[in-house]
Amino acid sequence: MEIGLKTGRGPYTLKEGAPAVRGGGAIVLTIVLERGDGIERVLLRCAIADEIAPGDDSAAILARIAPWIEREFEMTREMALKTIRGEGRMLEIVFDASHRGPF
Amino acid sequence: MSLQLIRPDINLDFVGKRHFFVILSTVINIAAVLMLIFVGLNYGVDFVGGSVVQVQFDKPTTANAIRDSLKPIGLGEITVQDFGASAGHTYLLRFEKVANIGSLGPKLESQLAKNYGADGAKVVRVESVGAKVGGDLRRRGFLAVIFATIFMGVFIAFQFRHTSWSFGAGAVIALVHDVLVVSLALVISQFQFDLTTLAALLTVIGYSVHDTVIVSDRIREDAAKRRREPIATIMNRAINETLSRTILTSGTAIVVLIALLAFGGPILRPSAFTLLVGFITGTYSSIYIAGPVVLFWEGHHRVGSLSSRAA
Repeated sequence: MEIGLKTGRGPYTLKEGAPAVRGGGAIVLTIVLERGDGIERVLLRCAIADEIAPGDDSAAILARIAPWIEREFEMTREMALKTIRGEGRMLEIVFDASHRGPF
Repeated sequence: MSLQLIRPDINLDFVGKRHFFVILSTVINIAAVLMLIFVGLNYGVDFVGGSVVQVQFDKPTTANAIRDSLKPIGLGEITVQDFGASAGHTYLLRFEKVANIGSLGPKLESQLAKNYGADGAKVVRVESVGAKVGGDLRRRGFLAVIFATIFMGVFIAFQFRHTSWSFGAGAVIALVHDVLVVSLALVISQFQFDLTTLAALLTVIGYSVHDTVIVSDRIREDAAKRRREPIATIMNRAINETLSRTILTSGTAIVVLIALLAFGGPILRPSAFTLLVGFITGTYSSIYIAGPVVLFWEGHHRVGSLSSRAA
């Protein structure tokens, strides 16, 4: 499943980069954020607590996250790139009862 | 009990040794220009175009193994940089000439999957810069350094215009010296020169001029107080009076930069190195370059001329 995003930097696509992992009361999605022309690509993780998205599959979750990432695009992209560049790991955004995000 | 690193009455002869240091700096600057022309900086993707790809492997591998596995798709020369074990088998690949940079991520992932398994290697970041954009950024970066240096000199010259225009000239020459020394260090070390390193170089210019202003300002103050003393004596006293401040300020900054260089990781290393060399050089040039230029400009004038203007 691939979702198109309209951003200030042009079209981007959002898709799953690895199978979702469920456990520890959350589902963790590895998301690929890629520019339309493919010259930029960054991976990030979203951990969604079961309490706010019980039983949802990864496609449904991705569809809910997409508009939120589109809205928070600059910050999300910048943080994802910085985390990978500086710390060598993927940015992990946690959505739970205290930070519901799009849920 | 107060902390005192430098005695208040210290009187080191900085000005007396200026000929040696001016010759030393001139030799280093000529070497820097020659090295820049004949060896050149190791420009990063930002300035020459190309792609940077960060790949995370699920088990340890080597740079040669990565190169070998990517050879069949013919991406040209690949620079592989290991991020170290702490970064979880992460490698940074640099490609200078890729025909179709748009499809690089999926192309690499499918090729690496053949050798490392379906989930064995994950392309976590791809950033590409076209050759034309890279060239444009290089030109703009070069202009930024030139304009920063000139405007800093003009600013100092304007601020000290009532004393002598020589302070502006001293500041510009000291800044050119610092930029050349840092460039030489970058050429020798072959650390990557990218936008972050350029930002560090511009920071060095700002820091160096700040240090020069402190020394120049004290020279101006002392010149107004001691009108009958030769400028060389005034200058030496001013440098000694500001020595404690210079050592404490530069020393604390340098300690932080050494820590950044040692523990900041490979991404921050080139900029930390640039700042470290630049801060040391900036401190040195405030004493041994900016001062002698003022001295040379003022010739063998009694301080009367300088001090009457400073008053």
